[in-house]
Amino acid sequence: MTQDTRVRDFVAAFEGLRAEVEKVIVGHRDIINHVLIGMFAGGHVLLEGVPGLGKTLLIKTLAEGLELSFSRIQFTPDLMPADIIGTNIIVEDPDGRKHFQFQPGPVFGHILLADEINRATPKTQSALLEGMQEASITVGGASRPLPAPFFVLATQNPIEMEGTYPLPEAQLDRFLFKLRVRFPAIEELNAIIDRTTQARVVSVDRVMSGAKVLGFRELIREVPIASHVRDLASTIIMATHPAWQHAPEAARRFVRYGASPRGAQALVLGAKVRALAEGRFNVSVEDLKALAAPALRHRVILNFEGEAEGIDIDTLVGQIVESAEAVAVQGKEAFLR
Amino acid sequence: MSPEGPIEGAPTLERLVARVAAQVRRRRAEHYALRGAFWSSIAAVVVLLLKTPIGGWALPLAGGLFVAGTLGGLLWGAFKRTPSPDAARLADRAWGLEDRVATALEWAGRPDRTPLVDALVTDAIARIDKLEPRVAARRVIPRDGRFLPIPLALAVILALAPPVPLPSGRLPDFSAETEDATAEPRTDSSLLEDRKQPLAKDRMKSPSFEERDFASKMGGTGASMSGDLSAIFKDTALSSQRPDFQSFLKKGDERLKLLEQADRLPDLQSDFTTSQYKMVFKKSKALSSGLRPDQISPQKLRELLEEMERLGRKGGGNWGSDAAEGMEALEGGQPDRAMEAMQRALDKMRAQDEAGRSGKGLKGGRESGRTGTSRDRRGGEGGGPEDQDFGEGEGLLPGKGRSGSPKGEATQRLRSTPYDVGVEGESRRGRKDGFDTNLTGRAGATASRLQYLGVIGQYRKMMEDAITRESVPRDFHSQIKDYFQALDER
Repeated sequence: MTQDTRVRDFVAAFEGLRAEVEKVIVGHRDIINHVLIGMFAGGHVLLEGVPGLGKTLLIKTLAEGLELSFSRIQFTPDLMPADIIGTNIIVEDPDGRKHFQFQPGPVFGHILLADEINRATPKTQSALLEGMQEASITVGGASRPLPAPFFVLATQNPIEMEGTYPLPEAQLDRFLFKLRVRFPAIEELNAIIDRTTQARVVSVDRVMSGAKVLGFRELIREVPIASHVRDLASTIIMATHPAWQHAPEAARRFVRYGASPRGAQALVLGAKVRALAEGRFNVSVEDLKALAAPALRHRVILNFEGEAEGIDIDTLVGQIVESAEAVAVQGKEAFLR
Repeated sequence: MSPEGPIEGAPTLERLVARVAAQVRRRRAEHYALRGAFWSSIAAVVVLLLKTPIGGWALPLAGGLFVAGTLGGLLWGAFKRTPSPDAARLADRAWGLEDRVATALEWAGRPDRTPLVDALVTDAIARIDKLEPRVAARRVIPRDGRFLPIPLALAVILALAPPVPLPSGRLPDFSAETEDATAEPRTDSSLLEDRKQPLAKDRMKSPSFEERDFASKMGGTGASMSGDLSAIFKDTALSSQRPDFQSFLKKGDERLKLLEQADRLPDLQSDFTTSQYKMVFKKSKALSSGLRPDQISPQKLRELLEEMERLGRKGGGNWGSDAAEGMEALEGGQPDRAMEAMQRALDKMRAQDEAGRSGKGLKGGRESGRTGTSRDRRGGEGGGPEDQDFGEGEGLLPGKGRSGSPKGEATQRLRSTPYDVGVEGESRRGRKDGFDTNLTGRAGATASRLQYLGVIGQYRKMMEDAITRESVPRDFHSQIKDYFQALDER
């Protein structure tokens, strides 16, 4: 199979899966794209939005479009780590002897929907940490690998904060993207009403297997990136740090902590998927710009002044990207900028 | 195709890059030729101004300079190296190739290239073949090149005009020897009729009037008019006097001494409302009123700081370093620090302004009590409320108390006397002590001399630190944050 064919296959699969999701989900093209990019990049995605915008439905639909196992955990304050990862239970064999047997929790699935993740206690939230980073779970001293591909899609509600436990930075950093689900436009709302209040039932076809997803993940890593594009990604990450000498004024003033190297990885991996999904064989600067906000908005921690000023993190990231571009061409002649 | 072998089509990419690099060279040549032309035309103007001493060579020299400068710039631009990755990026941008050329060119020669690179190169070549000719490198007109017509026009005018007469460059010599030397011939001739022109005083009189005047001098008889008329004009008083420059200097000294005495008198003509400090203060107020440091125009702030620095240099003030620091901070993109530095410089200007007014001001003794040196005494002696506009510290800080520091001791207060820390993280029930943040006393009616916007950032940072250290009970966090939020909205 030629490289061109491989890429064309990927584009077709990406668009096919998106089409299946769009059978159910109205609008939110960007969100769907970013969720798919996150999945193909091998990362996890956090969706934030007020209730009723279809976050859970989107994830469920995506799972229906894939030939993968799906589990859902509704996070509540009394949820315990064992409820997620599983536990050893005593079982009796036919001979009457008792022994411990591991009963896997819902985390042992391909696609895990962690609904309202910020409602569980930090202890329970942290039960996902190992699984998200290492794709394995350690229970009772034994490490058990999670099925591949393993993909966590979490949702959280930004307004109903009472009785919630905001995700710690360490866990936020493990999400490749944080997506903000906006309220639909009036045309989209009309379409939602039409689609959901009629007798017609929409069925989603399974269009992709787990093996195919894994194959595409390998292809994605082959996408070349030019050094100036990679340098821009690094500059963007550095520019989120207020202590960096070329950090923009906005970052110096409003940012407490900048993005980690995981942010750079997320940016570049996401950009590679985006490039392939557009049928391109290389990463461009535009890919980085398009994914800067989803990849960095949860990694840049505002300081008190930033929070008190009500700074919009997406605007801030936009400014950071602009300034990083300016830094990248600094010292170059005007003809070569 | 194996990843180790050479990639077909790489020359196509290189050709495109070379084409773009040539465009860049052309643009550069234009750019530097314009610059060279500007500076060489200025040199030509100078040469043409010196047409008189240079003589006939001036015109060819000026022309030669102009041509040499322009050609030099052109050659410099044309032969400057253009890195091929930069040219590839320009090509990508010019034709909307989304970094295909730059990536393909970079990866084509790499041993660790992936199979996708081959597909990338093929794709890039396919796109390059369809490209329409376009200018990839934009024209950059240099700033000095925009003013080229001015020196050029000047040079042409100077070339066509007659040589400009140059000043002799000799100053009058007032030394005593020279005076004597010039006085001698005057004594010898000693006749005013030798003068070709009448004196300025004489010029006002008509010849008939002169005659009449003379007649009256001679007793009105007119009998001796038949004598030598030149004798009539013989000014014996003047001719007998030798020029005494020393006495002139002495008189000048006396006048200067008088001026010094006059300076000691109350300066009734000075308008202190337009002092340097007041002017700068007004400007700074107009600049920063109601704006956060980040909203203030950096350009205007820089201008103000430059003016302050200039005044410091001119007037021998000690605020120049603060103004310079402010400019430095502004360069570094820190308007907060720049505002603080400006405030410090303003304080110093005010101190010098007040010191300058002491003794000469119309307010006499009271003003002298305001000088910088008397500040230290203020608290101890004669520091009654009538003698002060407001107590030191009041009007500078929200809260009460007198502080020796112009910025107060807010952090100290928070650290040393946590007012409600029973159990950390909780507030006790009942009445809670707090600081009165309203200004009281005379300071309440007086505008703060410390810029609100200049300090609010620091206070907010202190508050943030205090909250982070948890020296403030958790229950109060939101209240304190709301308070600072409200301050910001004001």
